[in-house]
Amino acid sequence: MHPNAERGWWWALPAAPLLAYFALFLVYPTVYAVNVALTDPLTGAFPSLGNARTLWRDGLFWRAVAGNVVVPVASVAVEVVAGLALALFLSTRLPARRLLRATVIVPFALPEIVVLSIMRAIFASRGYANAALLAAGVEPVEWLVPGTVTAYLTVIAVDAWHVTPVVFLMLLAARAAIPDEIDEAARLDGAGWWRRAALITVPLLRPALGAAVLLRGVDAMRVFATPLVLTGVEGVPVMSSYAWHQWSDYGDDGAAAAAACVLALACTALAVPLLRRRVAA
Amino acid sequence: MTRRLGLAVPILALLAVALVPPLLVLKQAFTPEQESVAWPPTWWPREPTVENFAALGASVELADGAWRSLRVALLTVVSTLLLALPAAWVAARRADAGRILDGATVFARVFPSIAVAVPLAALFVRIGLYNEPGGIGLWLAHTLLALPVAFLVLRSGFAQVPSDLEEAARLDGATGLEVFWYVSLPLVRPALGAAAMLVFLVSWDELATALLLQVTNRTLPPLLYYLTAFGYPGLASAVAAIMLVPAVLIVILLEPALRSGVLSGSGR
Repeated sequence: MHPNAERGWWWALPAAPLLAYFALFLVYPTVYAVNVALTDPLTGAFPSLGNARTLWRDGLFWRAVAGNVVVPVASVAVEVVAGLALALFLSTRLPARRLLRATVIVPFALPEIVVLSIMRAIFASRGYANAALLAAGVEPVEWLVPGTVTAYLTVIAVDAWHVTPVVFLMLLAARAAIPDEIDEAARLDGAGWWRRAALITVPLLRPALGAAVLLRGVDAMRVFATPLVLTGVEGVPVMSSYAWHQWSDYGDDGAAAAAACVLALACTALAVPLLRRRVAA
Repeated sequence: MTRRLGLAVPILALLAVALVPPLLVLKQAFTPEQESVAWPPTWWPREPTVENFAALGASVELADGAWRSLRVALLTVVSTLLLALPAAWVAARRADAGRILDGATVFARVFPSIAVAVPLAALFVRIGLYNEPGGIGLWLAHTLLALPVAFLVLRSGFAQVPSDLEEAARLDGATGLEVFWYVSLPLVRPALGAAAMLVFLVSWDELATALLLQVTNRTLPPLLYYLTAFGYPGLASAVAAIMLVPAVLIVILLEPALRSGVLSGSGR
């Protein structure tokens, strides 16, 4: 008898500890956060839009909302382009290809805060990047001045540097699944490398590209440490660092909870297509 | 000849972009603090030194932080695997259980950690787990963050074990628990190892929750954050070098498993 044909609710027993943990440490705190977010910080009245009003009037909150759109979108775009280029390049016949593939993954192997610590030293005004520019006879750049376009670009580049290997690995796996015969046939028909890549490989990689955008998109929405460590809370504000700032610098748990709820709602909404895809697969 | 040159340029650029930052971490770790803040910065330590590591060893806060990080990460491995193992098994064996558990796990995986950390901090203040010296509160939070990763890895591990073997054992008279312990569990040992290492990394690398929950009794990531923010490049790089070792080892060991994309959302 196939186990799926068994009747009864016995299966709930092994599933129970995990679900109970989610209920206690995910659902309950979320309900608590919604409750705090909707309680007036002064009068204790519930439900109240007091905290929402605080956010609405705070210019930094709106910059955090904008940052939480700009940074993830740009970062994922860079990751997908770079990851695709790497996957195509490292699928061609190269000397020491295995070693190269392993090297390309190194950035992802580093803990995020380790990456950010050294990136700060690299992009500081008296840092390694400017030393290299100086040596090349180019005027130094102020990379991380809060609120500047350069600061946003640096944050995006550093974030993409760290996670591009993930996209690369996903696309490399998908590339390896494409039968060599297809490429070989096109080559015999006289198509060059660029033509084969653009007209055959990339279209065949489309499902993997979609999956990568979806997965990375949801993760990128939670961006926290990169803008915080490189530029401080107000340099390149995003929702996570804004909520942290409200909690730890102002002790305003109402505003912190409200901002956290807004972000959680956005992430959950983005996750719906991810869930659909899993169910379909 | 030109083809060779045409290949050498992108390959060298690739190596430089990937390797220069981690090499600079190691360089700064062995460079005296004064030299690290001088302008222009050196690319190789003029007088290599281990004074940064000596300073770490002498600092109570950093030694405590290293032990706390290690303890929280190991505890998180144990609790996460215990919770995820039975759930992953039943999800791989029963379609109805799989649907529910998959849905719950995807939800937990996409949930921003700051949105859990803020209310957890408020709740932990009430029950005395906020900033707890042993890191108990952080351990409980890290278990939540690591559960989706462990569940996904173990679930695909169980899915690759044919259920015929379990049924055969059952027909021979083994109870459900015996089947699980003697048949299923040994067969997923590789997945179990991979899950354990990934869970360790989730906790070892985690910054956001640790910043919120351990405000003074810190683990290594928040310590590194403050060393970086307050301008101690040599000390920061020494901590970074210590953090880097297990992380790089684990990722190299797991490179094949990484390709399936399971690691992509490990709480980062």
